[in-house]
Amino acid sequence: MGSVLIEQLRKDFSGLTVLQDINLDIKEGEFFALLGPSGCGKTTTMRCIAGFETPTSGTIKIGDKNVANLAPNERNCGMVFQSYALFPHMNVFDNVAYSLNIKELKKSNFFKKAGVYTRMLNSKIVKYPQHIERKVMDILEYVELTEHAKKLTSELSGGQQQRVALARALVMEPEVLLMDEPLSNLDLKLRHTMRNTIRRIQQDLKITTIFVTHDQEEAMSMADRIAVMKDGKILQVGTPTDLYSNPNTPFIADFVGTSNILSGKVVGSEKGETIVQIGNQQIKSSAQTDKKDVQVIIRPENINVLNGAPDNFGNSFEGTIHLATYLGSIVRYDVRVGEHQLLIDTTYESGDSIKKNGSTIRLGVSPERVLLI
Amino acid sequence: MNKFKQNFMGLGLIKLLIYGFFLLFLIIPLLSVFLVAFTDEPINVFGSLVSWEQMQITIDQLKNATLDNFKAMFTYGSYFRGLINSLKLSLIVSLWVLIICIPIAYGIARTKMPFKRTISALCTVPLVIPTFISAYAFIIMFGRSGWVTYIYEKMGGEGMLIDPYSMTGIAIVQIFFFFPYALWPMVAAFKISDISLEEASRNMGSRGWLTFITVTFPLALPGMLSTLLVIFAVSFSDFGTPIILAPNDLNLIVVDAYREISGFFNWGGAAILTVIMIAVAGVVYWLQNYLLKDKNYDVLSGKPKQVKLNKNKALTIPLTIFSGIVVLIPILAMITVFLQSIATTWGRDPLPSGYTFDHYRTIFTSSLGNIQNSLVLAGGALILSAVIATFVSYFVVRQRSTTLDFMTTIPLIVPGIAFGIALIQTFNTAPLQLTGTALILIIAYSIRRLPYMVRSTVGTMRAIKQDIEEAAVSLGASTLTAATTVVGPLMLPGIAAGSILVFVTVIKETSVSILMAPAEWAPMSLAIFQNVLRAEYYSAAAMSVILVIIVLVLQAIANKLSGGNKSHE
Ligand SMILES: Nc1ncnc2c1ncn2[C@@H]1O[C@H](COP(=O)(O)OP(=O)(O)OP(=O)(O)O)[C@@H](O)[C@H]1O
Ligand SMILES: [Mg+2]
Repeated sequence: MGSVLIEQLRKDFSGLTVLQDINLDIKEGEFFALLGPSGCGKTTTMRCIAGFETPTSGTIKIGDKNVANLAPNERNCGMVFQSYALFPHMNVFDNVAYSLNIKELKKSNFFKKAGVYTRMLNSKIVKYPQHIERKVMDILEYVELTEHAKKLTSELSGGQQQRVALARALVMEPEVLLMDEPLSNLDLKLRHTMRNTIRRIQQDLKITTIFVTHDQEEAMSMADRIAVMKDGKILQVGTPTDLYSNPNTPFIADFVGTSNILSGKVVGSEKGETIVQIGNQQIKSSAQTDKKDVQVIIRPENINVLNGAPDNFGNSFEGTIHLATYLGSIVRYDVRVGEHQLLIDTTYESGDSIKKNGSTIRLGVSPERVLLI
Repeated sequence: MNKFKQNFMGLGLIKLLIYGFFLLFLIIPLLSVFLVAFTDEPINVFGSLVSWEQMQITIDQLKNATLDNFKAMFTYGSYFRGLINSLKLSLIVSLWVLIICIPIAYGIARTKMPFKRTISALCTVPLVIPTFISAYAFIIMFGRSGWVTYIYEKMGGEGMLIDPYSMTGIAIVQIFFFFPYALWPMVAAFKISDISLEEASRNMGSRGWLTFITVTFPLALPGMLSTLLVIFAVSFSDFGTPIILAPNDLNLIVVDAYREISGFFNWGGAAILTVIMIAVAGVVYWLQNYLLKDKNYDVLSGKPKQVKLNKNKALTIPLTIFSGIVVLIPILAMITVFLQSIATTWGRDPLPSGYTFDHYRTIFTSSLGNIQNSLVLAGGALILSAVIATFVSYFVVRQRSTTLDFMTTIPLIVPGIAFGIALIQTFNTAPLQLTGTALILIIAYSIRRLPYMVRSTVGTMRAIKQDIEEAAVSLGASTLTAATTVVGPLMLPGIAAGSILVFVTVIKETSVSILMAPAEWAPMSLAIFQNVLRAEYYSAAAMSVILVIIVLVLQAIANKLSGGNKSHE
C-alpha cells in the first residue's frame, strides 16, 4: 500500500487548462476525498493518477515511485467507476477474478498462457486453480456476495453491482484505491449503507483510498482528509473538522456546511477583539486579521436566540423572523437583521414552541464564533 | 516497460499493420492505375522500391508519359461511346426505378393495401440474387427459345417480345432487380415527410391527390433524389448484367474495361477506363453526400407521428396489383431458373419436357470444387475483413482515427471491375507477384466488403462504454489484452452479423471473381458465368439454385443475429 504525492500537476485539454497547481500529499492508509462542484476537475485528477490521462506537467508519485512512465495497467491502481463498468459478458466470479487471471498471464509459460486466455474468454472450458478460487471466494464473502458468484452482473441490484466493482478492485491488492463518485447511482438509503461498508473495508484493509464526490456530507462523514477543488485548483486541504471550523475561503464556508457570509470593513480592535462594521451594525470577532475588507462568516448553529436570557455573548442584535423551517431535530429561522438576512439553527426538543413569522427576537453570537476571511 | 515500447508492441503495431494493408492493397493500386493511364504500360511500383534499375525504368516510363489515352477516351469512338452508353443506361434505370417505386413505396408507407406484408417480404427477394443469374434467367425467359417468347408468338407476336441481348434487356433486368435498393429509403421518406402539413392542406379543402402532388411529393423529393443516385451508382458499377447480356456492338464501360484487360492486355486502355469509372462513381457519391448534408434528421429522430393510412379501395387495389406485377417478375425469373435446373430438356415450350435431378448430380460430382472454392474464398475474406474491421472500428471509435474511417469508405466508391483492374496491374510482376493467387482474391473481396463490415462493427463498438475497457486496463490488462478479452467478446454479435453479410456478398460477387480468379480457384460465380458463355444452361441453372439457397440461408441467419443484437445497448 502506498502514499500518493502529487506536485504541481497541470492538465490542459487542447489549450484549455483544466487543472493547475495541484499539490497533494496523501498518506499511506489514508481515506482522502476530493470534493468539489461539477466540472471542477476531480475526475481528471483521478484519471491522471490512474494513468488514463497524461499530465501536461507536474509529477505524480505512488509509494515513492514516479509513475510518469508507467502505463495505466502497470500502476496497480484499483478503480471503482461511477457506472461500475462491470464486464457484462462475465459472471460475478469471472469479473472479480479478472485481475488474478491477468497476473497469471504475465508470469506463466506459453501453454499456460493459452489456458488462462481461454479461461478469460470462457471459464467453463478451463478451470480456475485453487488459489484463485479461494481468493475470489474470500473477497466475495467479505462483501457478502457469496451466493451471487455465478450470476451475471446484470442480474444484480445496484448495491450488489457496486460491491462487485469494489471486490474486483480490491482483489488485486492495489497500492491505491480510486473511487469516482461510486455512490451517486444509488438511492439515498443504500448510499448510507454503502458509506459504512466502504469505510469499514477501508479501515480493515488500511488501503490508501482516494474518493471523488461532489456531496460534502459524503466527504465529511467518510474521509480522513478532504481536498476542496474549484475551477481546476485546490482551495484547501484539511480534516473535516478543520474545513468546517476554519474554512479559508467563503466558497468553502458555504460549500462545506451552511454559512452566513457578510462583507464588512475592519474599523478597529479592542481587548484583542477585531471590530468589523457591517452596514450600520458592528460585530466583534476574536479572529485577527490585517486585511481591511473582510468576509464575516457565522455558522447558523452559532447564533443563539436569547429568549429573554441575559445577553452575555459579546454580540447581540435584534431581528425579525421571516420564515421558520422545521427540519426534525432543528428549526431553521430565516431572520432579517437590518438589511441583512441570516440563517439561524436552533435545536428543537418536543414541546418547544416554534416562533411565529414576523415576531421579533434577540440574537447573540460569541466573538470566538465569528470568522474573518 | 517503457510506455512507448509497450504501445508499439501492442495496438500501435496493429494500427501500423492496418495502415500498411490499406496502403499496399488499396491506395497504391489506385494510384498506380492512375499513372498507368498516362504511361500506357504497367509500372512496377514495388520493384522500383527494391531495385534501382527498376526505379530507372519506372522513371523513364513516367518521363514518357502521354495524354494519348485521355485523348483516345474523348476522341476515339468506342471508349467514349462506352462511357455515354453506360451513363445513359444508369440514367434510364434510375429514372424507371424511381417511377416504379413511387406507387409501391406510397402503398407500403401510407395505405392499407391488401397483401402489404407479403409484397414487402417479396420485395427483398431480388436483393439476394446475383445479377448475372438474373440476367441469365432473362435469357431463358425472353431468349429465342424462352417460354415468354413462346407465349408471345402464340398470341400472334413475331420474333421476341424483348431482346434480352440489348440495352433494353440490360435495363429491364437492372430495373427489376435493383428496385428494392430504392424502395426502402423511399418508404422511409414517405413515412417521415411531415404529416401535419398534409393535414393542414387537407383541412384547407385540398383533395387527396392534390395534397399528394403539392405537399407529400415535394417533401419526399430530396430523399428520392438521393435514392436515384444510389441506383445510378449501383447500375453504373454493375458488371454481372452487362457481361452476360451486352452484345458485341454495344459498348459499355465496365464491359470494355474487362475486355481490354482480359482479351487484349491493353493496360493503358483498361487504366483510362478504370480512372473514368472511379471518377464517375466518385462524383455520384459526392452528390449523394451533398444532398444528404442539409437534410434535417430531426424528423427522423423525432417521435414518429401516427400516420393515417389510406383505406380507399379504388386506390389500394390498383396499387396492390401494380406492386404484385413488379415483384412477380423477379420471382418468375427465379422459378424459371429452378425449372431449368430440374429439366431434362426445355425447348420452345411453356414447361420442360421432363424432370430430373441429373444436373445436380453432375454438379456434385464434377463441380464440387467450385462450391468448395467459393466457401473457402468467402471464409477467408470473412476472417480477414472481420479481423481488420474489428480493429478499424476500435481505432475509429476509441482513437477517433478519421484517416482509417475515410479509407474504409473508399471501396464503397470504386466499382468492382475498376478495383480488380487496379490490383491486377499492381501485383502483376515480381517482387510482389500476387495476381492469379487465391490470396489476392481474398484480399480483393475483403477490401470490397470491408465498408459493410466496418459499419456493423463500429455500431457495436459505440455501444460498448469506454470505462468498461478502462476498468480492464486498471485491473492490469494491456490495451491489447483488454481489447481481446473484454471488447472483442462484447463485439461478437456485431462481428457475426457483419461476417455473414461479407460471406454472402462474396459468394454473390461477380466482377472481381470473373476478372481475377485463376482456374484452380474458380468460385461458383465464375463457373456459372463460364457455363452460360458455353450455353450449358442446365448446369448453370443448378449451380445458380445452389448459390441462391446458400445465400438465402445465410441471410436468414444474419437477420436473426442482428435482430438479437441489441442486448448490450
Ligand atoms: N477529454 C476531454 N477533453 C476536453 N475537455 C475535457 C475532457 N475531459 C474533461 N474535460 C473538461 O475538464 C473539466 C473537468 O472535468 P472533470 O470530468 O474532471 O470534472 P469533474 O470534477 O469530475 O465533474 P463531475 O462532478 O461533473 O464529474 C470540464 O470542464 C470538462 O469539460
Ligand atoms: Mg467526474
